Amino acid sequence: MSAERGDVEVLAAVAGGDRQALRVLHDRHAPWLALRLARRCADPGSVDEALQDTFVAVWRSAGRYDGRGDVGAWIWGIAIRRLIDVMRRLPRSEVLMAEVDDRRTVEAEVLGDVEHGDLGGALSRLSPELRAVVQATVLDGLTSREAGRLLGIPTGTVKTRMMRAKAQLRAAVA
Amino acid sequence: MTWHAPLALLERYAAGDLDDIQADSIEAHLPACGQCREEIAGLAGAAIVERSWANVVAELDAPRPGPLESALARAGVPGHIARLLAATPALRLSWLLACALVLGFAVWAAGEREHGAYWFLVLAPLLPLAGVALAYGPDVDPTYEIGLAAPMRSFALLLIRAVAVLATTGVLATIAGLALDGPHWSAAAWLAPSLGLTLASLALATRAVPLLAFGGLATLWIAGTGAGWLWAREPLDLFSPGGQLCFVLLAALAALVLIRNADGFECRGAMT
Repeated sequence: MSAERGDVEVLAAVAGGDRQALRVLHDRHAPWLALRLARRCADPGSVDEALQDTFVAVWRSAGRYDGRGDVGAWIWGIAIRRLIDVMRRLPRSEVLMAEVDDRRTVEAEVLGDVEHGDLGGALSRLSPELRAVVQATVLDGLTSREAGRLLGIPTGTVKTRMMRAKAQLRAAVA
Repeated sequence: MTWHAPLALLERYAAGDLDDIQADSIEAHLPACGQCREEIAGLAGAAIVERSWANVVAELDAPRPGPLESALARAGVPGHIARLLAATPALRLSWLLACALVLGFAVWAAGEREHGAYWFLVLAPLLPLAGVALAYGPDVDPTYEIGLAAPMRSFALLLIRAVAVLATTGVLATIAGLALDGPHWSAAAWLAPSLGLTLASLALATRAVPLLAFGGLATLWIAGTGAGWLWAREPLDLFSPGGQLCFVLLAALAALVLIRNADGFECRGAMT
């Protein structure tokens, strides 16, 4: 850790009611959280709101960090759930997942032929719907229910899409 | 952490210019790597961080809703209505305690003498009436002026609060009624008179000054029930099925007047 005080130490200060410590934690983590949230929600207002809610939650429940895992991962767990809450309050039409860039998909398809057999290629050949489910459950660590809320689909659909994604990946790397 | 993402890769990630697989890989790395997070922070620029921090501070410094308001909000009541209810004078703890005390005394007194239940039944409908009278108006409501300027009908506000007052005093009266020592039906006989009186007073309030409407009806009620006590052979007959039907009819009539005259309340509210 390159910073003067480690995240764990700063978080302990936040739990003790030190607002300056919250500022330090915020300045360290807000930028990457904002970028990561923005990849999951196309509405900048919702991302801002989720980010705000995240650090308010960190301020109020800093004492609940149990010391296991990175502080960054702990905050992300809060942030993604705040984003789900914010998006649930929006009317459906405003919640658009970041749109898939067609050009990039074509590129990925071409590359996929070359890289046949490797996991990265297989991942990039998944349909956007399946990939979104893999991203939400594997990378973001959400439950099927939370992933469903984030993506605006029923829990059962998350599960079936995850199964299809797994089958496709297995076939690709076999 | 021995591996770090190349700066060029982080730059493309921050610009949203990476393909999904590489972006995912960056995202898997960032939560655990302070050094790469710092690089990202440098790329994102201070303006975004400042704006975000201002948002957080604004939220931390915002007044937090009281226990009643947050309980209502948790129960699914929309935020603005929860706040309006929480500001209702007749929903304060002191008011509810006073109601409980009055009802307690009435129940106790009812056991002390013949036809004691009569006085409980006279008293119980007066509580919601007083509560509704204290729910809205220039003299009693701390948020009265805010309410006038709000994009919500004053009458809607009065109705919302009246329902809340009726519900809370209703619960108290029900509990008290169960402890009442009288004919078994008298435990519920306060309900129709309460509804009738409260709705009638609300209907009157569309035409007259609210406090006058409530006070006038309360006086009428006390005078009427007092006369009934003095001259009727069986005072409790006032609350018999026939009497109950009259109160239900009064409530229905008042509801009709209310629906027709709701606008009258609005115009007068704007003039005061």
